[in-house]
Amino acid sequence: MAEFAFVSHVPIAENRYRERYGLDFEDFAVGQIFKHRPGLTISQQDNVEAALDTLNQAMLHFDAHYAAQTEWKRPLVVSTLTLHRLIGLTWKTFNKRLRILGWADISMTHPVFGGDTLYAESEIKATYDDGDPRCGRLTVITRGINQDGIVVCSMEYDILVYKRAAVPFAQANY
Amino acid sequence: MSGFYSHRKLAENVYIEIAGVEHEDFAVGQVFEHRPGRTFTAEDSRLHALRGADLSPRAVDAVYNEKVYGGEQVVSETLVLGVVTALTTKTFNKVVANLGWGQVRFPTPVRVGDTIYAESEIVGKRESASRPTQGILHIRTRAVNQRGEEVCSFERRLLVYKRGLGPYEAAGY
Repeated sequence: MAEFAFVSHVPIAENRYRERYGLDFEDFAVGQIFKHRPGLTISQQDNVEAALDTLNQAMLHFDAHYAAQTEWKRPLVVSTLTLHRLIGLTWKTFNKRLRILGWADISMTHPVFGGDTLYAESEIKATYDDGDPRCGRLTVITRGINQDGIVVCSMEYDILVYKRAAVPFAQANY
Repeated sequence: MSGFYSHRKLAENVYIEIAGVEHEDFAVGQVFEHRPGRTFTAEDSRLHALRGADLSPRAVDAVYNEKVYGGEQVVSETLVLGVVTALTTKTFNKVVANLGWGQVRFPTPVRVGDTIYAESEIVGKRESASRPTQGILHIRTRAVNQRGEEVCSFERRLLVYKRGLGPYEAAGY
């Protein structure tokens, strides 16, 4: 018998449910691990676009002939693209995030190439209630895991997450 | 005081553009001002959210953003970090790979319409123990907006090729 946790759909009326993803600050506890789904396959086109969009001039990302002469043999994915996709993939759990305060550490532990599929997994390392009626603070460790189960990126960062009563979801039609 | 060169002379009247500063030419204490700056638009933010598979309503639903956040258009931290890092890539072009970041901070939020400028200081430089043809640079990068307010700062370690030991000649660089 499956055990379930955390509400994704709020009953609005008889037989009517509204999607409302994201845990409240009060739902988080140290030691929880969240496996985020879906994963996302990154393409070399994504890589080129991310480099061009951000003014990244490192040709390792977009000159495949150059990349073929390196030990990687093919273009390496922009590190901050990997990081961005991983954070994006966590949204169903962290949808009530107000902002990211900063990263204490970001480690790129394995190369990522076009064609790789990334899955994100997060662990709650610490929770802090600083007395702000709107938000609490979490220290989160998020890991990116590729299709072979190898950790490609690991990062530790602090975020502010809304408390249960603090966001006017219903008034915003959510 | 001498600067660094953008071109190497291949033959009389023929020049090839150089990609980045050589590892050997970096020294602790040097500061590099990166140009151009970059302006953030609302479309940047929207596309960034979509490409990140991020369905948080703040980024994709303007009505929600107005009602819950008062319409304030803050640029996502992952985009700011990506852009600030990218702005450093002309100077730090001889990169093998990024090893990681530390102490990433956002003292002032970046808002739609803001323009940021980045600069980097060399805080450490050493040989790679496991990779004799490569070195490790330790840099501290900060970015300010058009009002001079610091919007992002971080430390970063990257693996770089040593002089003459990269893939440049083979790749036609």
